[in-house]
Amino acid sequence: MTPHVFYELKNAVVGIAGLGGLGSNVAVALTRLQVGKLILADFDSVEQSNLNRQNYFADQIGLHKVDATLTNLRRIHPQAGLLGHRVRLTPENIPVIFKDCHVIAECFDRADQKQMIVETVLTRMKDVTVVSVSGLAGYGRSNEIVTRRISDRLILVGDAITGTGPGIPLTAPRVGIAAYHQANAITEILLDERRTLLLKRSV
Amino acid sequence: MNAILKINGQEKTFEGGLPETLAVLLDNLHIDQATVVAEIDGRIIERKDFFRTVLAQGQAIELIRFVGGG
Repeated sequence: MTPHVFYELKNAVVGIAGLGGLGSNVAVALTRLQVGKLILADFDSVEQSNLNRQNYFADQIGLHKVDATLTNLRRIHPQAGLLGHRVRLTPENIPVIFKDCHVIAECFDRADQKQMIVETVLTRMKDVTVVSVSGLAGYGRSNEIVTRRISDRLILVGDAITGTGPGIPLTAPRVGIAAYHQANAITEILLDERRTLLLKRSV
Repeated sequence: MNAILKINGQEKTFEGGLPETLAVLLDNLHIDQATVVAEIDGRIIERKDFFRTVLAQGQAIELIRFVGGG
């Protein structure tokens, strides 16, 4: 990597809200990229049913997802800058927990929770971009999963229509595609847009 | 005068007049309030204010809808 790229990433702080199929995979991608600091939050523990798409292992069942993720990421980079919060995220604690973040990845499962964090970031966290996902259930139709810029501070990944439901499972390949779209959008923000933004602000 | 709103970039005409509030509009469109982020003329409207956000002719409304899965 060029020095510029390394500098931008080393100084970046990214929040990951939820460590399920999206978050556990986004965290791996951003750790491999050596993003300076990741702030992770989830309230849940690893269950057998998570192993079909989430980045956990059979011997981690029962562990808190935050702890299991920290362990897995440190196996990639022992010196990775990581901060974990074992907490259920709310409109009140999101601006506190993710205070220093440049970008937040919305990695929740439920539609109303996705709505909650996107609304919270857009209304209460100036200058923070949120990368959210809507529509990743099922399998196939890889190319219908897209990354769209909705507004200045909102990027939306997914096919926008396929939610989970009877007969529409969440599968590792399609959730993985969405998670890596998300990680790639974050990389682009950190390397391209943030630089422009910082230059603008310093004027 | 026709009652027109621009919803997600597309003009929509309301024969019986504009829906009174954002909440009524979402009802008409069969959209669950709990799963949508709404923006009117570039400004985010918080979900708790949907019921008292009065709509006006010609506004540009963006409705960002979320479905479950992650």
